[in-house]
Amino acid sequence: MSALDLETATAVLTNEGAFLDARLWDAWLGMYTEDAVFWVPAWKTEDEPTADPQTEVSLIYHDSRERLAERVWRLKSGLSIASSPLHRTAHMVSGVRLLGDGKVGSTWTVHRYDPRAKAQHVFFGRAEHRLAGRDGLWKIAAKTVWLMNDQIPTVLDFYML
Amino acid sequence: MRFNFPDFVDDRVDDGVFRVHRRVFSDPAIFDLEMKYIFERTWVFLGLESQLPRPNDYLTTVIGRHPVVVMRDNEGDLGCFLNSCPHKGATLCPLMRGNKRLHVCPYHSWSFDSAGRNRAIKGLEKGRYAPAFEALNHDMIPIARFASYRGLMFGALSADVPSLEEHLGGARAMIDIAAAQSEQGLEVLPGAVSFTFAGNWKMQLENCSDAYHFSSTHPSYLRLLDRRKEEGVDVPRAISGADYWLGEAERPLGGSICFDHGHVLNWNHLDVTPALPLYDAIAALDARVGRTKRDWMLRLRNLTLYPNVQLAENVASQLRIIRPISVDRTEMLTYCLAPVGEAPERRALRIRQYEEFFNPSGLATPDDASAYEACQSGHRAVSGGWLQGYSRGMTGRLWGGDMTSEDLDAAVVSASSGCMQLGDETIFHGGYRQWRALIEKGLREERTEA
Repeated sequence: MSALDLETATAVLTNEGAFLDARLWDAWLGMYTEDAVFWVPAWKTEDEPTADPQTEVSLIYHDSRERLAERVWRLKSGLSIASSPLHRTAHMVSGVRLLGDGKVGSTWTVHRYDPRAKAQHVFFGRAEHRLAGRDGLWKIAAKTVWLMNDQIPTVLDFYML
Repeated sequence: MRFNFPDFVDDRVDDGVFRVHRRVFSDPAIFDLEMKYIFERTWVFLGLESQLPRPNDYLTTVIGRHPVVVMRDNEGDLGCFLNSCPHKGATLCPLMRGNKRLHVCPYHSWSFDSAGRNRAIKGLEKGRYAPAFEALNHDMIPIARFASYRGLMFGALSADVPSLEEHLGGARAMIDIAAAQSEQGLEVLPGAVSFTFAGNWKMQLENCSDAYHFSSTHPSYLRLLDRRKEEGVDVPRAISGADYWLGEAERPLGGSICFDHGHVLNWNHLDVTPALPLYDAIAALDARVGRTKRDWMLRLRNLTLYPNVQLAENVASQLRIIRPISVDRTEMLTYCLAPVGEAPERRALRIRQYEEFFNPSGLATPDDASAYEACQSGHRAVSGGWLQGYSRGMTGRLWGGDMTSEDLDAAVVSASSGCMQLGDETIFHGGYRQWRALIEKGLREERTEA
């Protein structure tokens, strides 16, 4: 495969948000490698996020696509009151830049609307994706999301990031 | 407002009746009474001493509506003060935690040492103060009572409280068990998680003790565990899925204990599998603390210390601090606890299980918080009157304790135990009796003063 360029990286990140907003869960899962790491650190202090998921608490830490597939199953199961109804989301990705070695930095916001509570909220932060070539396609091998407003109203799930 | 207890809680257990009115969760006047006479008159949990290990460390929190700061002074002694400058009232310590020898107010630079003593008033000499001002104490204002038990720090804004040991009463036995899991005690892991929900604080208080909700609120979590088992996924779990609620055994498999002053415990048997973070330590625990305490350590234990802290221990341990914001809004601050000196792979397993179960971004807690919000919406149907959720276990509860509580060697008000499906609700009664006692005491004193 040729080297990752900014246009391709931007398209991957934009597609990811679009798939989540459209609830195309299988398409979203298909963007990840089997051994993908999905990580949302928590915060230790006002200024410092957690840095080691093996010794510190994260908001979310999964080290395989199967764990993400479980979350998708949970949303669709009808067995989770927090996911029934699902919140409506709109992902915005900006400031996409190449960091080398397949890493892609970005800044994001997700607007979410909870139709049950008629309440809306905006999550925002930075993200770093690591993309890896698989069978001629760029897949997400790792996604780290630093959530800036980490006091969470009721629920935070993967599709709101 | 006129507070006539039977209007809010119908406590006639001798007739088999205990009911709570929807207004208890939805009436702002009740919330005001709770802040004034419960949170601002009794012992409230502040934090763990281990969060302030060094001289000049501080930690900020709230007691009811009052911002406070716990400080370790230069000599290593702990104190707790209102986090409000005596001059114009600004909060002196802005961060959750920090380390400062000198706290300088950001507004007019009055400064205070880590023992709360005023060290300087800017421009004192040129200020043309009256002698009456110089006669005032300019130090930070200490709270009325401050004490620790086993490293758990508590404070009270009223001096008219029993000693902390007396207040905790029989619940101390459960704190002792939690603290003895490691010879070096428990530590708070880095990473604080906070969430809010649009519901009354007592929803969280009750849910932690509510064994009845587990299978119906968390089926997605339980089914996921089943799926992993079916697919042979190598993720050890101590809470098994569908069989979680099956089976009668010779000994009770779960139950609840009410201690004095509203503190309660609910517990369940857990399968002893390698998924338990304490699994490798079982033999050592047997030798160090004895079989009885070891067995308690291996059970699921949810301890509520009235009114604002919960220690939830199952496949991981969570410290939950409840902060009521308004009658229909609550803020939660949560920490993962772990025995000091735990093996790295055990620690990592504990953290994964913790995040999955306890986080507002996990697979279980969001369903609890969403259920609280559903209740809060439903409580607006005030004309629906009394709630029926305080009745399970009414004919099985034993005053003074039962076979499951006798080995605790602790003062117990009542205990209830049985199979996994019991889902005892008499556990909630203790909290409402303390609720009544504190509010009625506060109102009585107010009438006397007036």
